[in-house]
Amino acid sequence: MTQALGRVVATERKPNTPHEFHFWTALDSPVGIGTIVRVDGRRPVNGQIPRVYGIVTEGFSYTDLVTPLHDVLSHDGAPESAGFASAERAEIRLYSAAVLRQIPEEPLQPVPMGDVFLALEEDVNVALRMDGYLRDGSNTGIPIGVYRAGGTDATIFLDADFLVGPEAAHLNITGVSGLATKTSAVEWLLSSLFAHFPDSRGSIAAVCFNVKGPDLCFLDLPGKLDDGDRALYDKMGVPARPFENVHYYAPYAARGYALNTLRSNEALAHNVTPLTWGLREVLQYAEVLLNRDDIDAKADALIDFITRSVIDQTFTDPMLSRSHVVQSFADLEDWFRDVLRGLENGNKESWRTHHVATIRKVRNRLSNISVRCAGLVTDSGPVSDLPFGEFEDRATYVVDVANLEEDAQDLIFARVVSKLREHLERRDLGVKHVVVFVDELNKYAPGDGPDTYVRKMLLDIAERGRYLGLVLFSAQQFRSQVHKRVVGNSGTSVFGRMDPDELAAPGYSVLSPATRTKLATLEKGQLMIRHPHFTQPIFVRFPRPAVMAGRLGAEQYPQGGEVPLEVAVYRSLRARDSSVTLQAVEDAIGLHEESDILRAMATTLRERPADVLGTFRARLPKRITQSAQSRPSVAALRGGRNDDPYGA
Amino acid sequence: MIWSKRGISVSIEALRAIQSLLPDVEIVQTDAPADDSYGGAYSDKPQISAAECLEGRALRAHRVIGEPEVRFAGFLDGIQRARIQCHRNGVPVVLGTVAAAIRVRVDRRFTTWGRRTPVVSRRLYMPLAFLQCEGRTEVDGFQIVDTSYADDTSKLVSRHPGALRAVAFQRVGRDRDAAERDLAEQWCRDDAEPLFVDGGIGGSSHVASSNCAVGVVKSHQTLYADGDALDVVMGLRSGERSSVFARPAQGRSSVISWYLRLRDPRGHDAMFGLVRIEASVGGDVAARANEISRWVLAEASPLSLPDGRWDRMAYGIRDCEQFLRAIA
Repeated sequence: MTQALGRVVATERKPNTPHEFHFWTALDSPVGIGTIVRVDGRRPVNGQIPRVYGIVTEGFSYTDLVTPLHDVLSHDGAPESAGFASAERAEIRLYSAAVLRQIPEEPLQPVPMGDVFLALEEDVNVALRMDGYLRDGSNTGIPIGVYRAGGTDATIFLDADFLVGPEAAHLNITGVSGLATKTSAVEWLLSSLFAHFPDSRGSIAAVCFNVKGPDLCFLDLPGKLDDGDRALYDKMGVPARPFENVHYYAPYAARGYALNTLRSNEALAHNVTPLTWGLREVLQYAEVLLNRDDIDAKADALIDFITRSVIDQTFTDPMLSRSHVVQSFADLEDWFRDVLRGLENGNKESWRTHHVATIRKVRNRLSNISVRCAGLVTDSGPVSDLPFGEFEDRATYVVDVANLEEDAQDLIFARVVSKLREHLERRDLGVKHVVVFVDELNKYAPGDGPDTYVRKMLLDIAERGRYLGLVLFSAQQFRSQVHKRVVGNSGTSVFGRMDPDELAAPGYSVLSPATRTKLATLEKGQLMIRHPHFTQPIFVRFPRPAVMAGRLGAEQYPQGGEVPLEVAVYRSLRARDSSVTLQAVEDAIGLHEESDILRAMATTLRERPADVLGTFRARLPKRITQSAQSRPSVAALRGGRNDDPYGA
Repeated sequence: MIWSKRGISVSIEALRAIQSLLPDVEIVQTDAPADDSYGGAYSDKPQISAAECLEGRALRAHRVIGEPEVRFAGFLDGIQRARIQCHRNGVPVVLGTVAAAIRVRVDRRFTTWGRRTPVVSRRLYMPLAFLQCEGRTEVDGFQIVDTSYADDTSKLVSRHPGALRAVAFQRVGRDRDAAERDLAEQWCRDDAEPLFVDGGIGGSSHVASSNCAVGVVKSHQTLYADGDALDVVMGLRSGERSSVFARPAQGRSSVISWYLRLRDPRGHDAMFGLVRIEASVGGDVAARANEISRWVLAEASPLSLPDGRWDRMAYGIRDCEQFLRAIA
């Protein structure tokens, strides 16, 4: 039995209620805002001594002074003389606490008078109702951090069923930028999730969108940890290691052959795959790139017609000069040109119910896409994509969109998430659950502004994703500016250091002034957690992620520069097979067209063959080499030397 | 008067006890007859009494030499509370509460002396002879104090309700003095550190002869100076003390005494910041008076505000009173 550290008090002005109580402590007690305490009642209720758990939400301190003037008079207006007074005034530390749990839970009564104790680890489990999901045999606890107060170190667990689904799902993180709160917390939480996600709940993977800087570019490299961090990892049973199975995806730069990512250093190229899409992949999500002014019903009908009847099939029409097989933006441009030429030659205004103006407009908008999303969208059609259908358990797929234009970011986001959803609905993604991490939610799902395709999709994930196993981990600086339905559907909310202006938003009025002040001054590595099982927010500490920090990684592995085509191909192929040499690639490339080379490279990377170089060669169009070309034979002139009419 | 919840609870228990003994009493529901005094004002009328000067031939002012020195380790005070709970035909039944405690100073903060728990007693003070229940000493856990006779003599007190009330209240005060005396005697037996006693120390010969007890009297119903001596006392300036004099015994043990001005009285009444100190007889009285005056001056800060007697009250005594109000 530990020693009591306080006593419950209640007055007519400040009575206790079933959800709040007050207690005082000694001046040197370790109680502070966020401390969890236990109250043992004195009189039994229904034969049971009531036990109440609470978390400190407010603190007061005062002396027996009626007015500050009395203290001034006490020391003759000279503060320096205060230390010489014979005694210090009687002083109180009075705290208000919000009830976390009462046992017995019925009848729900005001908190009784009683002794107050610092909550021990087992008390914390009960107070936060973690005892319900940490049972042997059905443990679904995911460590989120360590609650620390007055010598008590208690691991705080989230319930996997309420973090990943199906009961509730999604997690939202809010915090100011630059304090490594949001990204670090997500990296830590993913490590914890991968280490503790129960086998009984199936497999899990993560898709992270790196939207700024090098934040998520070095997840597979070890970071710097101190002893305190390691102790936290040990305490929570999470290996202090970087992620073991990480795959990076990034489109090419708009010009050139280097990948458009901060993880383009040659030493790290082994798990970086180009992300390139062709016409078919893009046309499905044309809505993302075309604004409402562009897409009226007529244009939409034409796009639908093209998608359904033109793409990837032989298209013939009496009006056209030839049959078309449209597989790329280049093919589509040829098709449009032929259609418009046919209309002009026939002096027609419409074709197959589509007006010429609509056709011109759609042509203009679609042709433009490959320019606006250069590097991602290819004119000629080589496709390199995430391994939908072959996702691996506990793998992390990072899609680096940090350096892309907004349109391209939206397109990638929309398509990747849609594909994830499609595969999860069909149960053929490769894993049962996918965590999608999106930062800067202020930008993608703002509370106001136009209703974009991306925002609609985020809302859809937030509201229905948990039934599919599609879980959204989102982060932003200003939670109050994110669409309410996105944050409202997040079962778990995490708060790092907050901006005071943000805390002034109405959504935070449920927090006490002291809690808000603490949020505004949180140290690095501290978080406030709200979770469906916790009736009040809880403060925890979490360790630094065991991965290399983005800034450090960018210094140690500087971005690779623009390289010639053969070097880009060599680097890409060597990432799959270290025996590939530059000379061999140069020999293979020979005089092939650039588009053919890129297509062969993309195909090779996508197929992941055992013989990388051989496959690359095989995917290049066949060409007759100079040496193998047989010269046409020339008939010999009649007669020999002797037949020389000018002979001697 | 504001009664604490605890006080109300005790009051109800006392009423039940009284009604078990005297079923036909009239319950007093108003606060008017209550007395809630914490000082010694219940007894004396203002008077002047001559005293023998022990330091020189005549009383004069002395500047206290040296810096104030924090020496007191403990502070002793008591409270009393008396209330007419009910009456039968005007004969009052008084519930008296008496409490006393010593608070010791540890790291400049006060805590209750560990050697002796604070004294808290609640008794029923009633003239049994007028209530036809003589011989009773206890009812339902409440000790009964018979107030039928004045000063423990066999002479019956007047039947006048005011006289009966006055006797009861005096008995409560006397019980309070006794409680304080017990604590002071135990301190003087167990502890050699200086004890600040709120009030005089002559009530106990043991305490009055002890070197560790110092009585500090804040009320001046009786002034031990007349003629020129009174002018000297009234004219003391801040940090000045009077010459030491022998306090007239008046049924109490002999002690030496002197006046000390704690604060500048300019702009205030003549008693502002004036205390009278009592100490045991013996030794170099001038040196002792100077030394103890330095100890008492050190207690002038922090102020005991918001108490109305802050100009004379040591903060340790205020703390003691606050403590007693909380527990009694």
